[in-house]
Amino acid sequence: MKPEIKEKIRKNLPKMLSFFFFFGVITILPLMTIILPKKEFSEIENRVLSKAPEFSFSSVLDRSFMKNSESYFADHFVGRTDWIKAKTQMELLSGKREINGVYVSGDRMVEKLDSPDYNVISKSISAINNFSETTGLETYVMIVPTSAEFYSSSNPNVNQKEEIDKIYFELSGENVITLDAYTVLNSNKEDYIYYRTDHHWTTLGAYYVYSTTVYDMGITPVSWNNYNIEHASSDFKGTLYSKTLYDGIKSDMIDIYYPTSGVDIVSVDIHTGKGTDTYESYYFRDFLETKDKYSVFGGQNQPVVNIKTDSYNENKLLVIKDSYANAYIPFLCQHYSEITMLDMRYIDVPYDEVINTDDYNQVLFLYNYSTFAQDKNIRKLDF
Amino acid sequence: MVFSSLMFLYIFLPVVLILYFISPMKIKNLIIFVSGILFYAWGEPICVLIMLLSTVVDYTAGIFMHKFDDNQKKRTICLIVSVAMNIGLLAIFKYSDFIIDSVNAIFNLEILNPVVRLNRFINSIFDLGLNEERVDLPIGISFFTFQSMSYTIDLYRRNIKVQKSFINFSSYVSLFPQIVAGPIVRYEDVQKEIDTRKINVDMAADGIAIFIKGLSKKVLLANNIGILWTSIKAMNYSEISVVTAWLGILAFTFQIYFDFSGYSDMAVGLGKILGFNFPQNFDHPYMSKSVSEFWRRWHMTLGSWFKSYVYISLGGNRKGLLRTLINLIIVWALTGLWHGSSWNFVIWGLYFGIIIIIERIGFGKILEKLPSFVSTLYTFILVVFGWVLFDTVDLPSCLNYFKAMFGGSGVFIDGDAKYFIITNILIFVLCILGSTDLFGKILSKIKSKNNALIEWSAPFIQVILILVCTSFLVNATYNPFLYFRF
Repeated sequence: MKPEIKEKIRKNLPKMLSFFFFFGVITILPLMTIILPKKEFSEIENRVLSKAPEFSFSSVLDRSFMKNSESYFADHFVGRTDWIKAKTQMELLSGKREINGVYVSGDRMVEKLDSPDYNVISKSISAINNFSETTGLETYVMIVPTSAEFYSSSNPNVNQKEEIDKIYFELSGENVITLDAYTVLNSNKEDYIYYRTDHHWTTLGAYYVYSTTVYDMGITPVSWNNYNIEHASSDFKGTLYSKTLYDGIKSDMIDIYYPTSGVDIVSVDIHTGKGTDTYESYYFRDFLETKDKYSVFGGQNQPVVNIKTDSYNENKLLVIKDSYANAYIPFLCQHYSEITMLDMRYIDVPYDEVINTDDYNQVLFLYNYSTFAQDKNIRKLDF
Repeated sequence: MVFSSLMFLYIFLPVVLILYFISPMKIKNLIIFVSGILFYAWGEPICVLIMLLSTVVDYTAGIFMHKFDDNQKKRTICLIVSVAMNIGLLAIFKYSDFIIDSVNAIFNLEILNPVVRLNRFINSIFDLGLNEERVDLPIGISFFTFQSMSYTIDLYRRNIKVQKSFINFSSYVSLFPQIVAGPIVRYEDVQKEIDTRKINVDMAADGIAIFIKGLSKKVLLANNIGILWTSIKAMNYSEISVVTAWLGILAFTFQIYFDFSGYSDMAVGLGKILGFNFPQNFDHPYMSKSVSEFWRRWHMTLGSWFKSYVYISLGGNRKGLLRTLINLIIVWALTGLWHGSSWNFVIWGLYFGIIIIIERIGFGKILEKLPSFVSTLYTFILVVFGWVLFDTVDLPSCLNYFKAMFGGSGVFIDGDAKYFIITNILIFVLCILGSTDLFGKILSKIKSKNNALIEWSAPFIQVILILVCTSFLVNATYNPFLYFRF
């Protein structure tokens, strides 16, 4: 080869490299994406992945084909979770603390709350007031602050204490009694009362609240010494982890409290909307082997769950709730012969087609603040 | 489709580039045409017909203008048809809602936009889901109509030669790198390259470098600082502290610059990969020492378009001071209106028009004598004020935002502001440095001492950047397209 040609090639080599690197990246990644097998559900992200788009004249014209293709491609992009992990790391390095709606705050993650939508809240409040009036049931409302209230003071956040107090003030029905979960949680915030990687409270957090608030419901709580505590899992990575895929936070532990004496659960009937399944235990240990370990408490959220115990008393409780109740209910089981939980998010018929309120003595509304402030389903009680 | 998406980067681009490189020169323009139509139709499957209409009419007007070369009257008719059609498309699809709303408000009427009426009628037959309340703006309509008009106007002025091949002309209009967000490439700029051009690895590598630079500006800087503006913009302006208000609008100042110039870089880079040399669109505008200079360095192709086709057509500065001032006001009102069809934008344009007139009639001379940091700061702050006008929702909230910037809430700094500073300080520093020519200077200094180092590290830095951008695109929670109003 002539020396001048050689020299020219040497000079052009970096540009050749640029060219081939670029083409390498933009061809190899999509090829791998196309070749590799596709999953339907991402366990680590805890969500269903997009399905392949359907091509048709109308789906092209209304752009749904394009939108679906884009989300399908992104959801199945080769090494998706590793890309997300890398992005989270880089964002934290740049000084950001909020990743995908989650604050990474020291040794834990907390959910960032949206500013309250008072329109939503006031509709829920009036639905509860009306429900209490029409059914005549003794009504208890407990709104539990989320962990952002205690562990995220340097980040912009909603003042949940203030907001909960405002809501409680509006719950003016004659039979409505509000329960204060905040105080006991606040004075025990050094303890392990919220998960570090999940938006729920721990069994301990739930116990603290149970042991101080149930007096208002006419109940004397079971004392701490009367429980055997099982550490059911120590590698729980919850919903906040799924949103960030940040590995820098220690995994969580799930505890189950078994009373040493007292009443036992006889049956748990889960009405899925398609049928009814009956179980002997409230704890669904199979979930401990999956990513979704919090569902060990009563299984995943279902429209109606009916729990019967061998208690001799005739007390029956109706609970209208979100998933915070799932860890709380076992404590209440000691005091009732029957508890029915309604999750209004999954009920699309008038509530009296599902339950008869005359069967119950009391109703408890149990929500965390985040759900309560956003949920547009509580108002369905008014229909 | 937008450049900063996985779909473009990893499906559209590799397929089009491979087909483009392996096919003979003869059909390369056909590939550009077809890929441009697909690129546009991906975002606008129906309005792509509007673009095709504009292309066919302007092509035909050009052919006839050439045919009646010696009949000035007929040439003028051809020009009028072309310009009327392009302005008409803009009037219908971009400005009709604004015009009708304004008329309705002034005369207290309730006229329904005929386009909306037509949409309802079409929906009743074909059920296409067209908007039945407002007119949806076809993406990039302000760019492709302006580009297309530059051809017929320049042909009329005999600055350029006629394009006889329909494929070549339409590939100019639908050239995907610049179709949706500029730069506004005039036919004159690419008239030689559209017929025949050199395509080689050397130039493609330069293009890749510019493209990746633009992609990084958009995905890493603009999107990240934009999140800050989005959250501050949504706050209650009567409660935010002074520092928060300034952080918010500074965040937008950098977002719009890195987003827009990033898009232009990506377009220029892609153009180079395909063998085209597009004009530069941004030249460190935030370093300008006067507002007039700012507008010579910001969205340069738009400024020169208005100068060539509007200002000069109106007589420019050759008809006396008064006429010059009137011409400037007209050009700046139109420039504002080009950015979006609402009074905010008109006022934004006039705001700059008035400042530029003040600079022109004497203040500019004073500015030149001031220390350069004073004149740079003066310019920057006036531009930042402009962005408040530009990006707040309506005039009342614009005024409230100004109040907040000057202590309306009575609080100088609060917890939110501190949080915003701590969590965005690095990105702010990068944005400030990136708005100056500092990086370029450092680069050329190293280059003069050790050229090989820069040359050999470039490909590796590019790979790292494209991978980092990819990780930000895979789970993009915030990746807006800012020019949907243009």
